[in-house]
Amino acid sequence: MKHLPKHLRPRWRYLAVELETWPDERIGRRSFQRELWYAGQNVLGDPGSADADLTVVRFEFADGTGEAVVKVRRGETEPARAALACIDGIDGAPVGVRVRGISGTIRAAEENYLGRDRQDSGERNVVFGNEERAAVLRDDVGDVRLDEAFVGATDLDYHLV
Amino acid sequence: MYEAVHAHPDGQSTVARFAKTAADYGYEGVVVRNHDDARADYDPERIGAEYGIDVVDGVEIRADDPRQASGSVGNYRSSETIVGIHGGTDGLNRFAVEQPKVDVLAHPMTDGGDINHVLAKAAVENGVRIEFDLAGVLRESGGQRVRIVQSLRKLREIVDHYDAPYVVSADPRSHLELRAPRELQALGEQLGFTSDFIADGLAEWGRLAERNRHVNSESFIEPGVERGRYEEES
Repeated sequence: MKHLPKHLRPRWRYLAVELETWPDERIGRRSFQRELWYAGQNVLGDPGSADADLTVVRFEFADGTGEAVVKVRRGETEPARAALACIDGIDGAPVGVRVRGISGTIRAAEENYLGRDRQDSGERNVVFGNEERAAVLRDDVGDVRLDEAFVGATDLDYHLV
Repeated sequence: MYEAVHAHPDGQSTVARFAKTAADYGYEGVVVRNHDDARADYDPERIGAEYGIDVVDGVEIRADDPRQASGSVGNYRSSETIVGIHGGTDGLNRFAVEQPKVDVLAHPMTDGGDINHVLAKAAVENGVRIEFDLAGVLRESGGQRVRIVQSLRKLREIVDHYDAPYVVSADPRSHLELRAPRELQALGEQLGFTSDFIADGLAEWGRLAERNRHVNSESFIEPGVERGRYEEES
């Protein structure tokens, strides 16, 4: 079909989104998209989520942190934020979600808000709460493995062994 | 704006991790409101200086009945900057709003608890902040969430009408459950709050902390009486 004339094409805004979870969890693009649409439907309803669009256009995930770009119709960025805030888990993994910024093009969103700090992570033994534990460290934060779950900590909480 | 958090061992992240994440998210401070049976061990000054954020010590008292709660309030009032009551039963909600030593009545509507005009008036009189707890909206789903949204609306109508003091929180138990102020404001708008209302509720934690620090400081004697600067007798 013929392209729409420019003044009739929808205007988009691109949300640069930061994702975080525990180090042993994996998040896929499809499951993030599914959860986002679910969240949109639950918070905004069908008409609201149709308005917002909420398509994931870029997605990257590794070592417990990830980045995504979400396409939203111009003027619907606040409802989209609300939907994003309500994503609390993806495939059973608890996730932290935060909007780093909003741009008018994918390229600007990526250049201005994403990909700044790709940090290497590594497993080390640390002393946390007077006991030696395994931890996954990256930059100046680390997730310490307790018996059953992780504890989110920073360099102030443990010593390296 | 401030967020009130449950840190390890009450939650799944340490105070330092919360402080770092909250600073990244644009908060000005965090209130550590661990329950009284799961206190955190931390150094507010060191963490605050490291991440450039205000770390406020606090407690959320969990008690079976008002008598027990009353004892705990007495114990913690002098040592903690912010004293909250883990609300949710009618007895404890009532106790909290009638006790001027209590700063915050946390999540009064959970587990079948309720707030009515009598409690709202008492809260105004005693300056007890009623908490709007967004945790259920962020992390529950289905019918459970519908009921939580209903209870928030009811609470909002009562608080609006009596102009009762309030705070807003997402009640995070790990740094993953923390949400940035703008996200909470956007969510609030979907629930029928204005974004200023949410921002004000988040900022109220900070005002509360500042007031209590002033009251606990040495220059404060009693309301209206303050040690001024006098000439030393030679």
